[in-house]
Amino acid sequence: MATRTITLDPVTRIEGHLRIDAEVDNNQVTKAWSSAQMWRGLEIILKGKEPQDAWVLAQRICGVCTTVHAIASIRAVENALKASVPMNANHIRNIIMAQHSVQDHIVHFYHLSALDWVDVLSALKADPKKTAQLAQSLSDWPGNSEAEFRAVKDKLTSFAAGGRLGIFSSGYWGHPAMQLSPEINLMAVSHYLKALDYQRKAAQVQAILGGKNPHIQNLVVGGVATAINVDNLATLNMERLAFMRTLMEESRDFVRQVYYPDLLAIAGAYKEWFKYGAGVTNYLAVPEFPEDSANTKFSLPGGIITQGDLQKVRPVTGHNDDYLIDNIQESVAHAWYGGNASLHPWKGETQPDYTDFKPDGKYSWCKAPRLAGQPVQVGPLAQMLACYAAGNEKVKKLVDEANVKLGIGMNDYHSTMGRHLTRGMRACVMADLSLEQLDKLTANIASGDQTYANPVEIPNGEFRGVGFHEAARGSLSHWIVFKDKKIENYQAVVPTTWNASPRDEHGAMGPYEAALVGNPVAEPDKPLELLRTIHSFDPCIACAVHAVDPEGKEITRVKAI
Amino acid sequence: MKILILGAGNLLLTDEGFGVHVVRYLEQHYAFPNSVELFDAGTMGIMATHKIEESELVYIVDVVAVDGEPGTVLRYGKEDFMLNRIPVKLSPHQAGVQEMLLVSEMRGRCPDDIFLLGVIPFSTEPGNALSPLLEKRLGDIADALVIELRARTGLSLPAR
Repeated sequence: MATRTITLDPVTRIEGHLRIDAEVDNNQVTKAWSSAQMWRGLEIILKGKEPQDAWVLAQRICGVCTTVHAIASIRAVENALKASVPMNANHIRNIIMAQHSVQDHIVHFYHLSALDWVDVLSALKADPKKTAQLAQSLSDWPGNSEAEFRAVKDKLTSFAAGGRLGIFSSGYWGHPAMQLSPEINLMAVSHYLKALDYQRKAAQVQAILGGKNPHIQNLVVGGVATAINVDNLATLNMERLAFMRTLMEESRDFVRQVYYPDLLAIAGAYKEWFKYGAGVTNYLAVPEFPEDSANTKFSLPGGIITQGDLQKVRPVTGHNDDYLIDNIQESVAHAWYGGNASLHPWKGETQPDYTDFKPDGKYSWCKAPRLAGQPVQVGPLAQMLACYAAGNEKVKKLVDEANVKLGIGMNDYHSTMGRHLTRGMRACVMADLSLEQLDKLTANIASGDQTYANPVEIPNGEFRGVGFHEAARGSLSHWIVFKDKKIENYQAVVPTTWNASPRDEHGAMGPYEAALVGNPVAEPDKPLELLRTIHSFDPCIACAVHAVDPEGKEITRVKAI
Repeated sequence: MKILILGAGNLLLTDEGFGVHVVRYLEQHYAFPNSVELFDAGTMGIMATHKIEESELVYIVDVVAVDGEPGTVLRYGKEDFMLNRIPVKLSPHQAGVQEMLLVSEMRGRCPDDIFLLGVIPFSTEPGNALSPLLEKRLGDIADALVIELRARTGLSLPAR
């Protein structure tokens, strides 16, 4: 069989515009290219602006991760000025970050990736009674009744009859790689519809603490602007703290009793996907959720893993880790930028140099970040592996239980399904951690501490800083240089830039590209398997790079060469 | 009646942020009662579904990538969304407005009175201001929306 080239452009169900090209030989991917088709431009807009305001614009990079860019940006300025952040502010930021992750992971699993595994048309054949029995055997969620599943099935049937399922047509229904029973499919579709109620609860918490969601309003250099007064109705008071607790308990229950059991059921039915999609097995996670004012103690550890070896993890213990700060560079050898091939982010340049798609030359708006010269994968998989290697008890328990239940070992985590599984684990950890942070915040306020910021004036002189954040999609860093109160240089090295990276000057592939090599492709004109691996990273091209997308429908071009 | 005006778009890409600029213009130029929510959705996509479900009358303001005179406003109603009649994707928000509304309809919560005002952009280059062409159109388009709202709802919506 001739080698075929598959082009997916744009990849749907992600934020932003990503193009994937893959060479397929004997139903297996032999080469792949990941091309971001948008340009971000944030770096150019921020030049000359005041550093304390950068976070307001930075959170507009992306519609989904507004919060995480705001946090990384404010931390970059705090890092530059060695500002300390009071505990109330840290707890408030921690809750916002953890709840953002809960929201993001729920939406990613159901709305952005489930249709790669779940066949909606097959759900039409399900028996609602058997579906209820199955769902009740997996969890004691009160919403898993026969009546509930029957109602969803009836709704789907009427939509299908009226030709109204067309919008979902980018899901490859009836594809031979779809293997779930009609009952699991109906269960997953029902929970897909329900999940919107629970992501909303996590959004509400962010809005209460951040003043607004999306686009929180409450950050200042040195803390937060959330007024705290337990007795004042206009501020963060006991009633609001109690309301947030209810919201967070509800989303935690959904994660624990619906999302995670659904994920285990789907992973168990697609076990071969623990064998595909490893790609780059160097990983980076930074420590997150500061437990002191100087960013030296954290709830979750970070680490650098080389070639999947969990025995020799290099710990990242703080946000001032010199090895990490000194060894990040971005290569533009295959990216549409001019200038030097590889630069540290503080010296980073943003000079567009578009050449069209050239697989041997420049082919992406995404730069190629490298750590000590090596490509690195970031995301929940990296963080959960770092936590597991460091002996974090909560993560260890989740991993050990999943290994027994699914009959997998640690090597299986380096895979497409490994990324989904660890994202579900991370959602459980984030949901619990949100509540723990709320307890700490409440205790701290009750002890009489009502400080929420150590305000800092920006002085004259030249400063540079980096703000790290372990976000829903992985390690994020914002790098800032400012002089006499004006920004001189600003670079954001975002999770999707690490993962969607093109080749570097040595020809080493980025994580998406490497993960696609070896993937099966049953039908080249319906490359569902490629979507499975790409979606498992939770791509978000908008912040990796940005521009407007010319058309909506995913186009698959297949060419025999 | 609860009314939502949802401005979508990316503020860092000039005209791509048009919907958000409309929301800001309305906030500055008119007084709205509590029953009208002006919502700056940025580019949040499916995560904004609940905002729509909580309302009875919805206007989404966004840019559409179709050929035509920049500044032209195209208008779509609920059936256009449901029957997949909108020819192009809007700005690159992750799941797309159409998919969001279909999910909402399946949940039985999509309001009947929902309109998309799609504006053809002049520029989507990086920059946090509108192009001069759309900057000039901003007031007219926002004012026209207020006139339509007054006629439909009987609200006075006085200018500030």
